[in-house]
This record gives sequence, structure tokens and C-alpha cells, in this order.
Amino acid sequence: MSIFKSMNITSSALTSQRLRMDVISSNIANVDTTRAKLVDGQWEPYRRKTVTLSANEGSFSNFLNKARGKNEVGDGVKVSKINDDKDTPFKLVYDPTHPDANEEGYVEMPNVDLLKEMVDLISATRSYEANITVFNANKSMLTKALEIGK
Amino acid sequence: MKRLSLFGGTINSLEKGLQYASLKNKTIAQNIANVDTPNYKAKDVSFKQILQNEQSTIISANKTDVRHYDFEITQTNSSVTSFDNFRYRNDGNGVDMDAEQAKLAENTIYYNALVDRINGKLNTLNTVIKGGR
Repeated sequence: MSIFKSMNITSSALTSQRLRMDVISSNIANVDTTRAKLVDGQWEPYRRKTVTLSANEGSFSNFLNKARGKNEVGDGVKVSKINDDKDTPFKLVYDPTHPDANEEGYVEMPNVDLLKEMVDLISATRSYEANITVFNANKSMLTKALEIGK
Repeated sequence: MKRLSLFGGTINSLEKGLQYASLKNKTIAQNIANVDTPNYKAKDVSFKQILQNEQSTIISANKTDVRHYDFEITQTNSSVTSFDNFRYRNDGNGVDMDAEQAKLAENTIYYNALVDRINGKLNTLNTVIKGGR
């Protein structure tokens, strides 16, 4: 039981949410990128990336206490993976003048949906703000604890 | 040999309250940190359990000689419970953000109140020590 544990928990969440925002920024920045990866001499457009979060409960004391049938608070959150979105197909846009157009004049555009990205961005921002609130609450509690005996 | 009972039981009880409040704060922090984690289930702390644990599991010294000093170790058992069957959103997450924020505000006020009470108690003792001057 350490005093700063909840600050560590909150900061892990802040880092994760910020990384989510970074990935969303990358998605939005590459909304028109048709040459992201060279696959067998053929350019592939940018693929939308998503972040998978998981609870960081893999510390030794966590496993030990779980084996003893006790629940532990845990150590915050971690980013377990940045995935490529392979389920959404690339958008086909008719533009014969584009250098990456195929024989029929269609260009494969990234599978980034701006609307989805904006919603995710707002979600990440709100979560970030919520964690800031927790951090401030914790800070005020610790400051108050210093006043004991004054 | 009994423990010095100058401070009575009040400060000890308040201390248990502070321990509960800081553990609860950690739990709320963990819940809010994992608001976007799929399949994460919310956790909570039970005060009753923590108080009982504190009061029951006291390990006292094994004295083999009358001159040995007595000491006690209190064992802290974790009283964190997880709501494993609770589902709040479609991704299996069980964190209710509004409830957590409300709990956080409540917990902070509770903690501050406890600190105020401890200070009040210490001030009372101070008055006694100084003979009311």
C-alpha cells in the first residue's frame, strides 16, 4: 500500500488516453494517403489503426493475492495493442487522373471514417478529463493528509 | 502491558477510516482509468469488511519470558470486491462513469472530514496538555 499508487494508476490512464488521441491524429492525418505501404511492388493505402486497452493486473502481488483468493485494486491500464483495421474495406473512388488509379480508373482510398475518428477523439478527451478530475481529487486528499497534526 | 491509551480509541478508528478512504480512492482511480477497457469489471471496497478485518486479525507476540515486551501486528486483508456479472456497456465494460465521479467526490469529502476530526481530537489533547492555557 503506497501513497502514490492512485497517482500511478491515473497517470497510466492519462498516458493511454493520450496515445489513443495520437493514433486518432495519425488516422485523420492520413485520411487521403494512398501510398502507405509497399506490398509486392504495389502501393497500399493507409489502414486505419485502433488501440486496444487492457487492465494492468499482471504484477506479482496481484497474482499472489488472486491465488490466495483475495482481490487487489490493480495497477491501472495499459495499451495492449495497436491494431490495423482489416475488417473495414478500402474506399473506392473514381478518379482516372490519379497516379494510383487502376485500369478502370478507381483509386483505393484509406478506410478512415472521419466521423468515427471524431467520435473516438471526443471519447478519448472525455476519459482524459475524467482522469484529470481523479488526479486532482487525489492531490487534494494528499495535501489534506499533510495537515494532520498542524 | 497495555498500550498507552492517552489517545483512546477515537484516533485509531479515524485511522481505519482514512485507510478505507485511501483504498477506496485507489479503487475509484482504477475504475475510471479502465473506463475504456473491454470486459473490465468495476471494483468496490466494503468499509464494514475492512473494519472487521482490522479488528479481528491481530497477531500478538509470543512471550516466553515475563520481561519480554508485547507487540502487535495487525494484518490487513484486502476488501476489494469486483462486480463480475455487471455489464454496463456493449463491450463488456462494467464502469458507470457518473457513479464513479459521484463516489470520488463523496470519498474526498469523507477523507477531509476524517482529517478534520483527527485534527480536532489532537487540538483537544493539546488544550489538555497545556492546561487550558
